[in-house]
Amino acid sequence: MDAHDFLRWAGDDRVTGNLRWPAFTSEEEALTFIRDVCLPHPWRRSICIDDRSIGFISIFPETGDNRFKAHIGYGLSHEYWGKGITTRAVSVAVSQVFNDLPHVLRLQAFVQTQNKASQRVVEKIGFQKECLLRKYTYLKGQIYDVFVYSLLSSDLLPLP
Amino acid sequence: MEMDSQETQPIISSSPPGRISLRPMTLSDVDDYMVWATDPKVARFCTWEPCTSRDEAIKYITDRVLTHPWLRAICLEDDRPIGYILIMAVDNIRKEIGYVLARKYWGKGFATEAVRLVTAEVFKEFPEIERLEALVDVDNVGSQRVLEKVGFTKEGVMRKFLCIKGSVRDTVMFSFLPTDTLK
Repeated sequence: MDAHDFLRWAGDDRVTGNLRWPAFTSEEEALTFIRDVCLPHPWRRSICIDDRSIGFISIFPETGDNRFKAHIGYGLSHEYWGKGITTRAVSVAVSQVFNDLPHVLRLQAFVQTQNKASQRVVEKIGFQKECLLRKYTYLKGQIYDVFVYSLLSSDLLPLP
Repeated sequence: MEMDSQETQPIISSSPPGRISLRPMTLSDVDDYMVWATDPKVARFCTWEPCTSRDEAIKYITDRVLTHPWLRAICLEDDRPIGYILIMAVDNIRKEIGYVLARKYWGKGFATEAVRLVTAEVFKEFPEIERLEALVDVDNVGSQRVLEKVGFTKEGVMRKFLCIKGSVRDTVMFSFLPTDTLK
């Protein structure tokens, strides 16, 4: 159903370059991914315009004793970049996810240092920049430095 | 990772080389192991609970210590362990360093020496490693000083990052890269 729209951005290297999965090249690959990864996912949403998918937000808690912390990841179709869409979508997602997954105390985003646009998204929402981790991530053949950003469920509590 | 011990006068300000040596642990180390493993002050920032019996110690050494891919006893001149230091694989390019020392030997520079020795060797033994990291509880100031003295970079504090004995703790991240310089 969403596979055709999904492929429009999930088949684009500009969108998937910083993500762990490769750009998809066929609707069949996309459908398989949707079925095997997206549908059973603990918290994954499509960013939609007119009910058509133009991107995704994914929150994945760690397992076992570490399920109090969750990674947030997101991607948006290139033609919609630069309009504040991701910031709005992630902002909505963040408030929902602390309700939907009440055991999650910490949302974290590990953003490559060269990905300024993605850093602006989390900064505008109020994530705190905690660290620069050197040579932290090995992704698609290269090693990257990353900034670590976090938002705690307690960060969203109203001030007394 | 053997080093020949040397006779030294106790020196307060500096760390002369050769005061400690590193070697694999054995079951015959169990009584020395229990000195630190039963101590709640030593266990405070560790994921494990203090050990309560010699049998438990023997089981732990057998199941977890002897099977560890990279763990060394930190020994004084008499070859008896006062703690241990270990390297854990995180992924293909990253390893993590951890260490524990009996409380009687805290504050004398032994952990600093052990970390310096291991850091100097680890990139030769594992040439594919791009990053050695250490995660320290925000309240564990002694351990943070060890890493700073060796020349690790303090990269930041990650809030509510590690769960230690059911309590979610703020954690300081340190790293050392093959291109960094040991102090």
